[in-house]
Amino acid sequence: MKRCFVGLIVLFVFVFPFTAYAGAPSDAINDTANKVIAILKNKSLSAAAKKERLEVIYKRMFDEVELSRFSLGRNWKRLNPSQQQEFVQLFRKILEKAYGDKILEYKDEKVKITGERMISADRAEVQTKVIGSSKEIPVFYRLRLKDGEWKVYDVVIENVSLVQNYRAQFKDILAKNTPSQLIETLRKKVQ
Amino acid sequence: MVKRFYFLILVVAFLWAGSSHGADTAQTMNQTMLPGKSRSVAASSSVQENKVGTGDARTSAADRESPDEEAVDEEEEEGEEEEEGEVSISDPLESFNRAMFQFNDRLYFWVVKPVAQGYSKVVPESGRSSVKNFFSNLGFPKRFVSCLFQADFGSAATELGRFVVNTVWGVGGLLDPAANKELGLQKQDADIGQTLGIYGLGHGFYIVWPVFGPSSLRDTVDIAGEYFQSPFTYADPWYVGPSVRAYEGVNSASLRIGDYEALKEAAIDPYVALRNAYAQYRQNMVKKKEKRETPAPGGAKPSQRIFQ
Repeated sequence: MKRCFVGLIVLFVFVFPFTAYAGAPSDAINDTANKVIAILKNKSLSAAAKKERLEVIYKRMFDEVELSRFSLGRNWKRLNPSQQQEFVQLFRKILEKAYGDKILEYKDEKVKITGERMISADRAEVQTKVIGSSKEIPVFYRLRLKDGEWKVYDVVIENVSLVQNYRAQFKDILAKNTPSQLIETLRKKVQ
Repeated sequence: MVKRFYFLILVVAFLWAGSSHGADTAQTMNQTMLPGKSRSVAASSSVQENKVGTGDARTSAADRESPDEEAVDEEEEEGEEEEEGEVSISDPLESFNRAMFQFNDRLYFWVVKPVAQGYSKVVPESGRSSVKNFFSNLGFPKRFVSCLFQADFGSAATELGRFVVNTVWGVGGLLDPAANKELGLQKQDADIGQTLGIYGLGHGFYIVWPVFGPSSLRDTVDIAGEYFQSPFTYADPWYVGPSVRAYEGVNSASLRIGDYEALKEAAIDPYVALRNAYAQYRQNMVKKKEKRETPAPGGAKPSQRIFQ
């Protein structure tokens, strides 16, 4: 079961695929990939400097608000606007804390774009495979067209959707707690 | 060349049938060998899949748009997240399961992880990969029989081919030459729980077993199945079986140290995170096989890679 989460390690790690796959969403993933790899391979950068640059890329690649909104599902409306804002910030910090160091452990994994499909007119899924030395992990990105840019709103690793997984957790917590208690739990988590 | 290959499959099939595994599985296997088409089915289906996987991916994916997915999208457009597509699993034993989750957590951090770390210092990754391949190769009967029960003869033939190639040319299963580019026979993840799921049986409820980890009432069948299909179960003296299984566990843990830690670190409630991941993972295992069986309206053959 733990295998499902193997891919989270390499959330940001892509390598330029040998044959570029046509299509704007794939191009978006591809562009980001090149930048991330360039940073990870740059030996002159310190770990902190790398993280800083990766954060900039993360913000451009992901639609943070959408990611948070989907992760909360219906409960999103139970948060007031300032709580929603804080939630977005805290959620990013949690992901950063959990995966930031893992990404820096990059060991020449290769990423191949294996397919692309349109979910609807403004939503697409880019299918990739992360190829490591002893395993291959399917990682799918769900993107949405927003102001002419494709932004990621969900990552599906080994068939497990990150957003759905968080939604189950938040739902469980919010069934027993108030939104402000949830925010408090998240604050403690990122400390 | 094809004939020679076919002959080899037959030879190994008979050898295998004569070995200590159950006679009924051997019989099923011989029956499928008789029509003499399983091999060619595998070849043609894999070719088709390749095509879909590359060129036709977008067109066929569009055809296959499932109605419920569209409904979800529309709901999302209005800012009302639809949670019906949500994968969930009932958990009436939650307090027991949480206790078992704690137990497994400690077992991992106090026993399995230190042992696996020590082990990985002695044995290089390539060696550990080979050991993993070896055990995976021994899991062939379970996957093969499951494919047959799913009426997925293409995958069954692929599995059979893999078993032959990897056993003969892969040094008894240590290597995986069948998966290389020339042969392209990828492992077919199939198990008994999945098969029951395809037949329409639900999970029942979520259950966390000590040592074995997350499972469900339905998927527990697999833990039992694994036990009976393993040749080490029948080994003498009695402690060979458990020892080999413990070794297999340590070996596979050594290849993914850090995964569980990452899951725990990222989760707000690790227990719920793991339960949901299990439910999603298993649901998709069933779904992707079901999609394979019901062709899309456009007549396009669904690619194995494209599933939701």
